[in-house]
Amino acid sequence: MSPDFRHPHHLPKVRGDKGADPAELPRQRRGKTPQMHGRYPDYDCLEHLEHWDELTRKLVVNRVERVPELRYFGDDEAATLTAFCDVVLAQDAEPRIPVLAFIDQKFAEGRLDGYQYTDMPDDRETWRLVARGLDESARASGADSYAGVPGHRQVEIADAFAGGTLEGGVWEELNLKHAWGVVMRSVLASFYSHPWAWNEIGFGGPAYPRGYARLGIGLSEAWEGEEAVDVDPASDLEERGVE
Amino acid sequence: MSPGGGNHFFKGAVFPTDNDSAFLLDVDRRGVPGRESMRRFRDEDEVDLLVVGCGAGGAVLAQRLARAGWRIIVLERGPFWDPDTDWVSDEEGSEHLYWTEKRIVGGEDPVELGKNNSGHGVGGSMIHFAGYAPRFHPSDFETRTRDGVGADWPISYWELKAHYERVERELPVAGQHWPWGDPHSYPHAPHPISGAAERAWVGARAHGVEMRVGPVAIANGVFGNRPHCIYRGFCLQGCKVNAKASPLVTHVPDAIEHGVEIRADSMAVRIELEGSGRVSGVTYVEVKTGRERFQRAAAVAVCGYSIESPRLLLHSTSKRFPHGLANTHDQVGRYVMVQGAPQVAGRFPELLRMYKAPPPEVSSEDFYETDPARGFARGFSIQTVSPLPIGWAEHVLADGHHGAALREYMRDYNHWAVLGSLCELLPLPDNRVTLAGENDQFGMPVARFDYTQCDNDRANIAFAKKTMHAIWETASAQDVLTIDRYAHLVGGCRMGSDSETSVIDSDHRVWDIPNLFVCDGSVMPTQGSANPALTIMALASRLAERLAANRVHAHGSTRARTTLASR
Repeated sequence: MSPDFRHPHHLPKVRGDKGADPAELPRQRRGKTPQMHGRYPDYDCLEHLEHWDELTRKLVVNRVERVPELRYFGDDEAATLTAFCDVVLAQDAEPRIPVLAFIDQKFAEGRLDGYQYTDMPDDRETWRLVARGLDESARASGADSYAGVPGHRQVEIADAFAGGTLEGGVWEELNLKHAWGVVMRSVLASFYSHPWAWNEIGFGGPAYPRGYARLGIGLSEAWEGEEAVDVDPASDLEERGVE
Repeated sequence: MSPGGGNHFFKGAVFPTDNDSAFLLDVDRRGVPGRESMRRFRDEDEVDLLVVGCGAGGAVLAQRLARAGWRIIVLERGPFWDPDTDWVSDEEGSEHLYWTEKRIVGGEDPVELGKNNSGHGVGGSMIHFAGYAPRFHPSDFETRTRDGVGADWPISYWELKAHYERVERELPVAGQHWPWGDPHSYPHAPHPISGAAERAWVGARAHGVEMRVGPVAIANGVFGNRPHCIYRGFCLQGCKVNAKASPLVTHVPDAIEHGVEIRADSMAVRIELEGSGRVSGVTYVEVKTGRERFQRAAAVAVCGYSIESPRLLLHSTSKRFPHGLANTHDQVGRYVMVQGAPQVAGRFPELLRMYKAPPPEVSSEDFYETDPARGFARGFSIQTVSPLPIGWAEHVLADGHHGAALREYMRDYNHWAVLGSLCELLPLPDNRVTLAGENDQFGMPVARFDYTQCDNDRANIAFAKKTMHAIWETASAQDVLTIDRYAHLVGGCRMGSDSETSVIDSDHRVWDIPNLFVCDGSVMPTQGSANPALTIMALASRLAERLAANRVHAHGSTRARTTLASR
């Protein structure tokens, strides 16, 4: 039987390991989620566009329909950083949210976050240094670049970055804790501003001008997604005729 | 449900008698009417007061004094917002609301700026503040005397009380009767609360912690032409509804109606000093054209908040003040404070959907005052907070998760409720704003902000986290996630009783300069465990009252105010 999400058994700290198992999750039936699994299989926030104000609707729809071309990062940097973004977001299958495209757009337009640590370069430069560092760490494994090493090794390098234990070369120029914070801040903002990610987590979206009326424990608007509970993935797939 | 009971009197009935902003707004549009026909001054006109910064301090000061007949210009670095056309109902799409130009952060415990605590544009940081509007406690004004830490203010709570009440009517503030500090009630009844806040409240009560709904600066009921809150949860992204208070809707409309010119997109770069030792006006740059201009003024009020006010003073050097205006005793930029703001999230079986309803909902000040048994001075408050998805992702990351684990905690979003603390961290001289070695686009050195906690600060934050964990444990939370962070900014140009340990006197006048004032969050000598917005407005309200009544002479004692006010 699949997890009952009222219970916390599926949570990483409760399980005592790092990952949940997406294979236990329901497949998305309406709309898209990254990798097509999620907790709200019949909820697609993009079905509610008519209830959003025009400015917000355009902004959000563009994230899906008009993915910006890369302008700031070079091709090699982009290959490395795309692989890195997918690893730290566990995007191991299509469809993937193209997070680097949104980060690239922000930097190409010169937008910053409003602070820079004394021991760090400009955020844009930090990203470039991180790309170089990832490639250097990959070369220690015998590959040309981070994108070229096997998946498990990519994960090990990303974990070492998160843990602050990368050494040598470019990494000596960076405060690893701050560098991890700088890159992850942008990665998470790009991923969780995408409506596919909202479908996955059951977020209501912009909700302007519609708003909410049913507050309180366990209450939902009629249009909010219902959480799948007790869905057996095997029989669920069979019922829907999916391999 | 209403576990704490509540007061439901006068719902929507109390209205300020001396501020028509809510009626001056349009019923069908959110932008401020009257912008096009706003009064305009020429650069060579000597206005009675030039205000730098149109936030909580500057906007209230301008509105009050305009009603007293003063001729006023407000310079504002950012745009004159129109919520209908400039704002979106989206987290990532709201970054233009924040001060995102380069600033350098250092020290052992550097403070994130930008979206966390720095606004720009007409309305200032209150455009994206959560809405919590508690008063300070009487003890906050005398922590040195009571607890042997921090500093005593040159004024007391009781001198601000009438202004707290007045501003609470203007915003207006909604909430249950408040039993802490100086007990008081609010003009509007408490808002309904979300499932997440309900969960937090049940947990707190079981743990013996008292909580109350509010106080939030969101109208609950009829309030002029401002619509009712629609509970969409995007308070931190600017209120597209006009339900949440910010100076843009609470004071700017009335200020314009009474002849104030708001000069947006104008970056003040230097306050000019005359040979007489008085300031003559402000040099500023039109952001859109890059053109430098000079506006004459009989008096100047700096209202740029804790980073920009010190930066402007430090950059305004002269023969008499080679290290910056008002900086004879090296006090400008010192004692900048942030509140320790750790958050602890608890997981529950039911769907709580914390994105619904405003993020601030219920709060407690049970731990606000010093308790010797805790082993540190001063205390903290506890408030529910409700991050939207990006904010929640930052919370999960901070607990040490990325990759598949992060995705799983994110998928679990709707099962979580979040408690946050505001810990009173102490004012320290080396937590300061200075000028960094690089310049911005206007040729002005960027600010550098160094911040390091002291032992009392660390003990306070640790205790607050322990308390929030205990609340969730009592509430049978199935899992918890923790993030360490900071909130708010105050100090940097603190008021005091002598020029050697402060920047301004109790009338906000810069020591040694008769016609230069500072009126914003930077003036606070201590910060309490309360969100600062209401107190900044109350301070501005008090100063305006004193200036208008001629109890303080804006241009120094040598020049009678009456001649100007009678023009």
